[in-house]
Amino acid sequence: MNAAMIDLAPALPEVFLFVAGLVLLFLGVFRERDGLSVVNPLVVLALLVAVVLTIGADKGPVLAFDGHFVFDDFAAFLKVLIYVTAALGVMMAPAYLADARMGRFEFPLLALFATLGMGMMVSANSFLALYMGLELQSLSLYVMAAFQRDSTRASEAGLKYFVLGALASGMLLYGISLVYGFTGTLSFDLLARSFLVGEGAAALPAGAVVGLVFVIAGLAFKLSAVPFHMWTPDVYEGAPTPVTAFFAAAPKVAAMGLVLRLLFQPFGDWAGQWQQVIILVSVASMILGAFAAIGQTNIKRLMAYSAIGHVGYALVGIAAGGVAGVNAVLVYMAIYVVMTLGTFACILLMRRHGRYVEGIADLAGLSRHQPGMALILGILMFSLAGIPPAAGFFGKLYVFLAAVDAGLVWLALVGVLTSVVGAYYYLRIVKIMYFDEPAEAFDTMARPELQGIAAVAAVLVAGFLLLPGPLLSSAEAAARALLP
Amino acid sequence: MILAQLVFYLLAFVTVAAAVMVIAARNPVHSVLFLILAFFNSAGLFILLGAEFIGMLLVVVYVGAVAVLFLFVVMMLDINFVQLREGFLQYLPVGALVGLILLVELALVFGSIAMEPALGGAAVSATEAGVTNTEAIGRLLYTDYFYLFQAAGIILLVAMIGAMTLTMRHRPDARRQDIGRQVRRRPGETLEVRKVPPRTGI
Amino acid sequence: MLYVLLVFSPLLGAVIAGLFGRLIGDRASQLVTCGLMGVSALASIVALVGLGEEPFKVPLFTWMAVEGFIAEWSLRIDALSVVMMFVVSCISFLIHVYSIGYMAHDASIPRFFAYLSFFTFAMLMLVTSDNLLQLYFGWEGVGVASYLLIGFWYTRPSACAAAIKAFIVNRVGDFGLALGIAATWFVFDSIQYDVIFANTAKLADTELLVFGASFDTLTLIGILLFIGAMGKSAQLGLHTWLPDAMEGPTPVSALIHAATMVTAGVFLVARFSPLYEFAPTALALVTFIGASTALFAATVGLVQNDIKRVIAYSTCSQLGYMFAAAGVGAYAAGIFHLYTHAFFKALLFLGAGSVIHAMSDEQDMRKMGGLWRKLPITYAVMWIGSLALVGFPGTAGFFSKDAIIEAAWVSPNALSGYAFWLLLLAAVLTAFYSGRLMFLTFHGDSRASREVREHVHESPPVMTVPLLILAAGAVLAGWFGLVMIAPEGEFWGGAIFTAPINTVLEEIETVPAIVKYAPLGALILGLGLAWLFYVAVPGLPDRIVAALRPVHTFLTHKWYFDELYDALFVRPAVSLGRTLWRGFDLGVIDRFGPDGVATVTLASARRAIRLQTGYVYHYAFAMLIGLVVLLSWYLFILRG
Repeated sequence: MNAAMIDLAPALPEVFLFVAGLVLLFLGVFRERDGLSVVNPLVVLALLVAVVLTIGADKGPVLAFDGHFVFDDFAAFLKVLIYVTAALGVMMAPAYLADARMGRFEFPLLALFATLGMGMMVSANSFLALYMGLELQSLSLYVMAAFQRDSTRASEAGLKYFVLGALASGMLLYGISLVYGFTGTLSFDLLARSFLVGEGAAALPAGAVVGLVFVIAGLAFKLSAVPFHMWTPDVYEGAPTPVTAFFAAAPKVAAMGLVLRLLFQPFGDWAGQWQQVIILVSVASMILGAFAAIGQTNIKRLMAYSAIGHVGYALVGIAAGGVAGVNAVLVYMAIYVVMTLGTFACILLMRRHGRYVEGIADLAGLSRHQPGMALILGILMFSLAGIPPAAGFFGKLYVFLAAVDAGLVWLALVGVLTSVVGAYYYLRIVKIMYFDEPAEAFDTMARPELQGIAAVAAVLVAGFLLLPGPLLSSAEAAARALLP
Repeated sequence: MILAQLVFYLLAFVTVAAAVMVIAARNPVHSVLFLILAFFNSAGLFILLGAEFIGMLLVVVYVGAVAVLFLFVVMMLDINFVQLREGFLQYLPVGALVGLILLVELALVFGSIAMEPALGGAAVSATEAGVTNTEAIGRLLYTDYFYLFQAAGIILLVAMIGAMTLTMRHRPDARRQDIGRQVRRRPGETLEVRKVPPRTGI
Repeated sequence: MLYVLLVFSPLLGAVIAGLFGRLIGDRASQLVTCGLMGVSALASIVALVGLGEEPFKVPLFTWMAVEGFIAEWSLRIDALSVVMMFVVSCISFLIHVYSIGYMAHDASIPRFFAYLSFFTFAMLMLVTSDNLLQLYFGWEGVGVASYLLIGFWYTRPSACAAAIKAFIVNRVGDFGLALGIAATWFVFDSIQYDVIFANTAKLADTELLVFGASFDTLTLIGILLFIGAMGKSAQLGLHTWLPDAMEGPTPVSALIHAATMVTAGVFLVARFSPLYEFAPTALALVTFIGASTALFAATVGLVQNDIKRVIAYSTCSQLGYMFAAAGVGAYAAGIFHLYTHAFFKALLFLGAGSVIHAMSDEQDMRKMGGLWRKLPITYAVMWIGSLALVGFPGTAGFFSKDAIIEAAWVSPNALSGYAFWLLLLAAVLTAFYSGRLMFLTFHGDSRASREVREHVHESPPVMTVPLLILAAGAVLAGWFGLVMIAPEGEFWGGAIFTAPINTVLEEIETVPAIVKYAPLGALILGLGLAWLFYVAVPGLPDRIVAALRPVHTFLTHKWYFDELYDALFVRPAVSLGRTLWRGFDLGVIDRFGPDGVATVTLASARRAIRLQTGYVYHYAFAMLIGLVVLLSWYLFILRG
């Protein structure tokens, strides 16, 4: 029990984020007037430092904190993705917050703690650590959703998210307790080692699988997968746009990472038990995401359904399983967050007469007034729809290929068909931007961070075809770390 | 042993009954009081298991803090609970059905327990011999579960930040005491000594 | 290098004029295309003069090589292709030059010249091909170019219709050709000429099983290839596009009808003489179609009033002669006639063009007359051309046509008798309509309107010089070409194969005097009748027409071929298309396809949106129910 046993090195990025969070909290408190403008860039900086620390760390894989924490290539890939995404999400926020008169320094701090929670999630190696990370992330997000406390819409969104999130947490905890009750352990390593398929090994008790289904349900809520998606449209629409942007990107990656680790490490040998559940959730998500988005008039709500659909596609990869499947999911998520961040950067640029607008109809004839932005948004929409040669196409391609290789041809077919339906509403936006009677022009704003993020996202999405190597190879390494 | 079992069933029955009443009671104050009853009985169950620390914790935290807070909230907020509960029964059949199915399913898998072999079967004592409950928890919490303990701390910190962010408002018109300013103040700033000639005023 | 220059300089001209025509202007486009065409013509003359005995190849590059299927780009140089290149290049060059004058007032000159040059290139590609795929490339290139040229004045609906008709009718023939190529590949495992020709003898009398029925291999291939030839060469049945193709500018008519395109079919049959020699049934069919076409087209030519249509039907008829020659085994005579015909037919067309030009675009012979005084040069060359066409002794046509008729007499072919009599009758008719054309156009009193008459003028030298050159050719080509039908066959150097038993060319020398002079008699009879009808007794034609009304109607309706095709193919196809469009496309595919899917999608979307009520407890319920569904799915479906 001596202190030397606690090795902080594997968790260095998280420890750093934690300390940075405390320091910046103090800083923010003492800089009352301009707290946001000081803290915000520093939070971005802290996240970027965490990225560097993550890249530089030893990707062993190494365990820490008595096996509750693991750091490997898989965690590293997701952490880099999460921290970068979160940094960009934080970067996009302050201008909007200031405009909406809620420019308080707590916002970036909450985002920082949420990100810390996400980092803990993807490194979780036991159910307890999983739960702690998840709750840290969720609690921060609840507060962020309700951050615009003077707006009833935002408050309602926050409250809904909180109540339903609590229910989901309840399911998760209940599932964890079932797993614990039926197996006697919460450690991922022990679960993976003790219940092997084959002669002489103990079979996984059915109760544990029931518990696993409960856990999947709780995590599906975070992923906003059907039928645990109901909060998504309301919260996406109600919450302030930067919050929605933040919600839409990093937490999805973290939750997906968590699901991947949970299903492939402790329960990896029992794929036959959970595969059907994942397929069911995946199909339902793809179908609902495709159909319900049609007829939406609010672009944030549309993005909510889009997120539901995209999670469904990513889950196809999990259902497929194997290195190819995990690889496809990781690539898909990476491409997805790029597209999402770019799109939300564009949405944040939609301001008319000093007020932010969110209607799809407000984009009418955008190509006339702001051809650059229309082009960027058009590229992103093409990519979201999965039309080649945009990156979104390749994301879907890898996922479907993995499914076909795994013998799930019909699942891939459902994916393709719902993609076709989904393409309708993405392309409708393009049509509105390019062919409809122009609406009034948006305010011209100098928001280099937003314009930069949107442009970079569009370039990445359009140029993925040219240089897919780095992403593919690192995702491959991550997938191999998860499935030794 | 018979006595212990009798006490267990008594406590368990009261707990469940009180829990049902929490939902069923019409008066919200009664609900909270039933909740407190359920907590007390749960605490008794813990003590019966030999986990007296958690039992006490339950009484102190849940009864002492949480339930009392609930009571305050219920009493202070003027909410017509009867109105809120309207239409509640409408969902009862569906809810009952869902609950029933869940129950059946859990019952189905009940017998499939397979303990992790490394833990050496079911007979695990809550504490080592000669170690008090409190000490045992303390040892675990600050060693094996140090990471989770810290994480819980961060969660609480976030909860505090969140609570303040969402509720604290600056009221410019409210008068506050600023001790520093009071102490810094010099007589010269507030007092002016003047010679006042008689019968002239200032 | 010489040959590459020969074949590709027209392409270069086409590319320059086609892509940069606007940039460099009309004059430069004309100069470039004519200049490059002149280079090609010069090269072809050099090639003809320097023609050696041995055929050889000029390989360019390999087009594709897939699993034993090899297609190369290479030029096959032998007597046959050199003669064809000479004809194509020289005639095309003269037509290019002539076009400068004829098309002087047109708005899109570069386009016209680009098309002309491309057309020539495609034809050269066709005749120099070394394998069937390359031939097919040239074949289709010619088809496309002809479509573009016939529809050159695309603002005229009739021109567009004619272009489409030409293209579609050609497609029918091309389908046969494509099948023939496929069959060749199937049988010979190669599309290289060398391989095919080397193996035909082995395959004689073998059978090929197609759809359960067995056919003689070579006959089948021969007939399929001949169907392709029929389309391009406008033989009876697939001839309907040719007269309509007169909608194109007159130089185009000359190019299509004299030197290129229509001769492709004859060339194909001659090129495949090693195959046809072993397929007597196919040859009989060739003979039959050829002779029938010769007579049919001549009868229709009798009653046409459009000067260009008379010549067009004459072309059709003469092509019949060539096929008949090939059919009876005298391929050399066929090619010889092709070669002489190219000169006098180009001459006739360009002469007609000159007339039309002079008459302010009037083409109806009934509105001409007495032009010989105003257009002396045209008049003279037209007579030369006509005499060559009818086979006046000493002119080019005399040698080639007589050779064909005599070959029909001596040939052992089953249908040679039929061919002989039909061709002889066609010769009479040819003489008659040629005389009619000349007398109506140039003799008698002018029937044109006053203003047209005042504008009549001789064409500029840029038009008349090519006419004079062609006139010289029409007279002299026969003398120079006699070597082609020399019985020893040395000229061809193996390019045209004749089986040892095929001695048609030798036997021609021994025909009875009556046969030898029969064509001359036919000529005199025909021309005499024409003189009688249109000069001596001008009222006679009307009286005869009145007496033979049904026959005349039958002929003016061109044997009702167009009407028959319209009723048999065009209308049913259109109504089938209409039915499918209304009933199937709109009724089934659209209703259950796009429209139906869209409706279902929107309905589903509305339903999905209605799920989103906004009430937290609904959401919570949804989550719980979802959880129970998942659990039940796992417990009862997967495990149960």
